[in-house]
Amino acid sequence: MTGVRDALAPVSGALLRRARLDADAMIAAAEHDAAQTLAVARRAAQDMIDEAREAGTSEARARADAVRVRAGRRARDIELAARREVVLELRRRAVAAVLALRDDPCYPRLVERLRELARESGGDDLIVSEHPDGGVVGVGRGRRVDCSLGALAGRAVDALGAEAERLWAR
Amino acid sequence: MTSWAPVEYTDVAELRGPLIVVRGVRGVGWDEYASIELETGQRRHGLVLEADRDLAVVQVFEGTAGLRAEGTRVTFAGCPLRIPVGAGWQGRVCDGRGRPLDGGPPVFGTADAAVTGFPLNPTRREPPSEPVLTGVSAIDALTTLVRGQKIAVFSSGGLPHLELAAQIAAQANTGGTPFSVVFAAIGLTHADAATVRDTLEERSAAGELTLFLNLADDPVIERVLTPRLALTVAEHLAFVLGRHVLVVLADMTSYCEALREVSSARGEIPARRAYPGYLYSDLASLYERCGRVPGLPGSVTVLPVLTMPAGDITHPVPDLTGYITEGQILLTRDVPVYPHIDPLSSLSRMMRAGVGPGRTRPEHMDLAAQILAALARARQAAELAEIVGEGALGDTDRRYLAMADAFTRRLLAQRRDEARSLDETFARAWQVVSVLPRRELSMLSPAALDAGYREET
Repeated sequence: MTGVRDALAPVSGALLRRARLDADAMIAAAEHDAAQTLAVARRAAQDMIDEAREAGTSEARARADAVRVRAGRRARDIELAARREVVLELRRRAVAAVLALRDDPCYPRLVERLRELARESGGDDLIVSEHPDGGVVGVGRGRRVDCSLGALAGRAVDALGAEAERLWAR
Repeated sequence: MTSWAPVEYTDVAELRGPLIVVRGVRGVGWDEYASIELETGQRRHGLVLEADRDLAVVQVFEGTAGLRAEGTRVTFAGCPLRIPVGAGWQGRVCDGRGRPLDGGPPVFGTADAAVTGFPLNPTRREPPSEPVLTGVSAIDALTTLVRGQKIAVFSSGGLPHLELAAQIAAQANTGGTPFSVVFAAIGLTHADAATVRDTLEERSAAGELTLFLNLADDPVIERVLTPRLALTVAEHLAFVLGRHVLVVLADMTSYCEALREVSSARGEIPARRAYPGYLYSDLASLYERCGRVPGLPGSVTVLPVLTMPAGDITHPVPDLTGYITEGQILLTRDVPVYPHIDPLSSLSRMMRAGVGPGRTRPEHMDLAAQILAALARARQAAELAEIVGEGALGDTDRRYLAMADAFTRRLLAQRRDEARSLDETFARAWQVVSVLPRRELSMLSPAALDAGYREET
């Protein structure tokens, strides 16, 4: 038996060496694979971190923008509401000022002129009567002309156009 | 001009749907603007659809609910709708008829103008030139908007055309010269309108934007007026106040549907798909209001956005729009990333007048042509790869496929809140062509290649 073993010793030695070499190669390949997998995983992790950071930054930016936009809109809303209030106040004061014309000594002449105006516009067949709040109203067949003081004041404010913007112009 | 004693007509013969028939009227004309006062003092508005002898048919914007024949008074303005015009529109948000939605006072103007307006006199029109930069790479690089041009965005349902329109409206500029945007939102849902308003908030606060919001539940007759109001405001800003104005009209398909409804109410003979026979000239009367006038500094550029029903480009609305506009930007589902622009189906016919030395970059036209040619070649290569497999392609074809991929990832894909400068767009465009071997770039001059080409390894 010993003789056989001795005789096969070079073969078994060679096989062993080959096996060791193969094992070393496999270990090296496995280590290489592991290193590569690790590198890929690290890169993927880094990419994910970068992406998450970018997503977080852009989300934070978007939120900050949204807050800024909301605040800006609120400020603008307040400014526009104030302008609207000023225009309404102008209208109120204009109507009050025109209604005060009833106490003016020239009021009867004004009413006469408004009667003429109503007939010029709506036709001579209009029945023109005084409006309870001042001014006149003409009524005909299927037609009506409103020359009451309140309506005239409203038209005067509407006719102001860009003049009204002087109320808030700096 | 103010009429101090306007005649109110009180003989209402009939109330039918949104229509009022008024009897005994004198001198009332077609399309005249009317004001209707109810017994309660509430005021509504309308347009004369038909006038015949002493009868006038008025379509009421707000509908006739709650109206009674007795006690209703109708006043005619004596002319089609006029609106005040001036700088006061900037920074305002209004409904489709110009009434404030932002809680502010009515918009005042230094003058007034008829909203029906007229297209520019062709003999007084200057050809478009100089670019409008949108901050969207795919548009600025390949289908550049030119001041005074009309170019449409064609889209299908479900694609983000409204977001793109709002992004363009929020970002567009003319490089330091006075610039304004007039955005007419036509037939939008409340959610879409809110999105548009949010996107445009900053520009609105800066006083560079006028926003008209006609919502889906607003009256159709108002929808017909909305783009006209926008263009009227824009014309004054451009040709009196000397600003470059971009008018975005979205969605024009809703406008055309409203026109169809009004036409049907008027009893007109329907044409293709029941749209009125004058749809082509009606659209032209809007789109042709863009342009530049010799001796005046401003310009009106029109960007209509429309959805193609069922994605059908032969539908009358895109079909007729395509005849009038000077190019189109086509959005498609085949492009998987925002803004979904199909570069090979998009074209700006005026681009040559707006790009090049002194305007954008000397090599702009050549670079755009090179990218489009390469994308066309890449498309052929992709078709071939579907048959033989990508592995069987030659190296050059594979480089073309890589170039198309780089185009989509680096140049086309863009965030919805991302404004790209022209420098960044060009840097990206050069990165895209640098994926190809230099020998393939035959449309670019050697000098341009020396300056911009950096072959990728």
